[in-house]
Amino acid sequence: MAATPLTSSGLDLSWLDLYDEPASATPGKKGLTLKEINLGRYGDAARGKGDMTTRMRGAISRPGAQRFGPNYQSKADVWSENCIMLYEEATQRQWSSARDIPWDTLEELPDELERAMCQLCTMLTEVEFIAGDVPGQWMPFVSAQDFEAGLFLMSQIMDEARHTDVFRKRALANGGGLLAQGAGLGLRTLIEARDFTEMSVLMHVQAEGFVQSMFRMGELIGQTDADKRIFRMSAQDESRHLAFGVMHLKYVLDTEPERREELHHYLDKAEGDAAGGGSGDVTFPPVFESLCILLGGGPDKFDEGLQKFLLLRKRQINEYLHRLEVAGLGDRRQRVGPLFAQFVDPV
Amino acid sequence: MSTSEALAKAQVVAEVPQEARDKARQLGWEDGLIESALAKGFSLQEVWQALRGNVTGDQAKQFLAGGQMVRPEFKWMKVPTEWGIKARASDPELGLAIGDLNVGTYGDIPDVWYNRTEIARGSYPNPVNEDMGYTIFEKAIVWADCCVPLYEEAIRDRWISATDLPWASLEPLADDIERAVCQVMTEQSDRAYFEGALLSGWLPEISYGYLELKLFLSTVIYDVARHAEAFRKRALANGGGLGLQAPTDYMRSAQEARSYPELINILFVQDSTLLTLFKNGELFAQNQLERDLYALCAKDRQRMMDYQVERLKHYLFKHPERREEQNLYFNKGENRLAKDWTDPVVNEPLAILLGGGKGNIDEGMKKLRAFRKLQVQDYVDALAKATFYRTNLNGRLAEYLAD
Ligand SMILES: [Fe+2]
Ligand SMILES: [Fe+2]
Repeated sequence: MAATPLTSSGLDLSWLDLYDEPASATPGKKGLTLKEINLGRYGDAARGKGDMTTRMRGAISRPGAQRFGPNYQSKADVWSENCIMLYEEATQRQWSSARDIPWDTLEELPDELERAMCQLCTMLTEVEFIAGDVPGQWMPFVSAQDFEAGLFLMSQIMDEARHTDVFRKRALANGGGLLAQGAGLGLRTLIEARDFTEMSVLMHVQAEGFVQSMFRMGELIGQTDADKRIFRMSAQDESRHLAFGVMHLKYVLDTEPERREELHHYLDKAEGDAAGGGSGDVTFPPVFESLCILLGGGPDKFDEGLQKFLLLRKRQINEYLHRLEVAGLGDRRQRVGPLFAQFVDPV
Repeated sequence: MSTSEALAKAQVVAEVPQEARDKARQLGWEDGLIESALAKGFSLQEVWQALRGNVTGDQAKQFLAGGQMVRPEFKWMKVPTEWGIKARASDPELGLAIGDLNVGTYGDIPDVWYNRTEIARGSYPNPVNEDMGYTIFEKAIVWADCCVPLYEEAIRDRWISATDLPWASLEPLADDIERAVCQVMTEQSDRAYFEGALLSGWLPEISYGYLELKLFLSTVIYDVARHAEAFRKRALANGGGLGLQAPTDYMRSAQEARSYPELINILFVQDSTLLTLFKNGELFAQNQLERDLYALCAKDRQRMMDYQVERLKHYLFKHPERREEQNLYFNKGENRLAKDWTDPVVNEPLAILLGGGKGNIDEGMKKLRAFRKLQVQDYVDALAKATFYRTNLNGRLAEYLAD
């Protein structure tokens, strides 16, 4: 198509003839969502071969379109059957750390409890920071053919920004401050992943799963209504991230069963050789100790706190194995790493 | 039975991770001490916590012989960070904003950030850490003060394409008009999605010193994701479909950027011209839904431009010696965008919408020229606001201005 001077003499207008399949999506109960427009030749089922240009799925290829660098060519590499629903859910369930947390109800806590909460928040605001970088790192490799997966990841980046900010806000809102950096949290592993599915199983399923199990114990960890609400709201977001990961893993195992051993291999590395608790490691002493104080209700009740901490670990590991089972990796139970194995419930 | 007892029971000859053995050796635990702790009913987890807490071999041995338990020292409670912060909402309407946290040392946003880890700004650094691989450690490269309030404003002003637009109100349009709308939507959807993916890829480059900027960029990414799907929804909702993919020249130039200043300056060109387009969306809109859609996108894009202008101004102030160099990036961005603008599949749909139909396209083309002039003028004005005066504006763009 030639460049045209802006007069009718050079008109092209051939693009007017491209529409062979009229699309008239109508809004459903939740408005006009991605599900309603996932139709005909525009739907994910009609995805053709990969495309290294910026062409969104269903748009007509432009002759001469340039490539933008390598990205995943096969749908299974990034797809999750629930990403369409999860993106829309994310848009419906955005919340505001500024307004949706009852900050004015925060009450002064005994010094050690405030310090323990601030230490936990210091670790979490660090972890959540990486949780935004990691999907960011992979966005350029997600083809616009699978744009719903990309939209979901971009909603996750927003969610993680909110988590990063809400834990910082909590640390600085009740007479405390940030405390010790949570180095050694195993976060490098997430950045080191060299495959999308590797990243997803390590981050979405394992790390965010562990964080989720912890947030779900937020009623026990949080000392104030505001704290509990922070954990509840964040858990709502994490459940989407987890759901994406579990269903992505399932999609890979269903469509590319030959990758099973490779995926186990990533988990062998993450659980096995390292003795720690995986990414977002709660066994890091400042985190472990602050959790024991919060769960016990004070440093004098450290032993009670320790029992609850062990319960938390047990929950983390068993929920993790359950999620893997849902994804089709139930055999993980037999080969889980030693520090995890001690917590596994008998079937 | 306590959880730890239950755990210990469940633990048939646990395999001890090599990392735990290595750590034990480092702390002077003699061989077999881990096993004897396990045999006494302690869980592997507890042994690991003792190792991570640097319990020495002697201490462990004494404890296992019935001596005093080594209590954690809670060293993290005593780290010398600033304590006693009670941030409060300065604007109760907006709630507790990230800007309200920037008090005392927590508000120090340093000109250069030296920590190579993911440490939260203001927390106490570990002495030895792995490098996380960030590449941006200088405030002048990324920062604009406005990113702090803009983050919370973006959250306050978020909208939902599925429910905030009156989809049920759409009525059939003449074929040529509907297809023109669909072609514009197809192009804008490609452009928005691409910008989101591109900016996402830059997040891992930026260090924690500039946290608020990363938070703000996350809202921009989420905004353009929404634009991408909203445009697509419009294309598929009224009897049309997707048209030809967007031209790739301009987007490739952004993809090719080797540094953040280059990236963001190339994006400046389109961020500005698209803001003008959406701000004047009523000229192109065929119905209320499209008017709303353009207006909402304009509001989002205004935040991006506020950031763009302030960042560039700040950057040029801090780096006068790099002022000339920036022209190269603007040259490139302008050149490629001007090329995209010569594409009939970019122009003709806009001209049909401006003219009111295919039959009126000549009139539409005239209006489009006038509109391009407005876009270029706004762009040049935005640069001037940033104290950047283009002496060598792209010739094609300059032609519009001369009209
Ligand atoms: Fe999170
Ligand atoms: Fe998450």
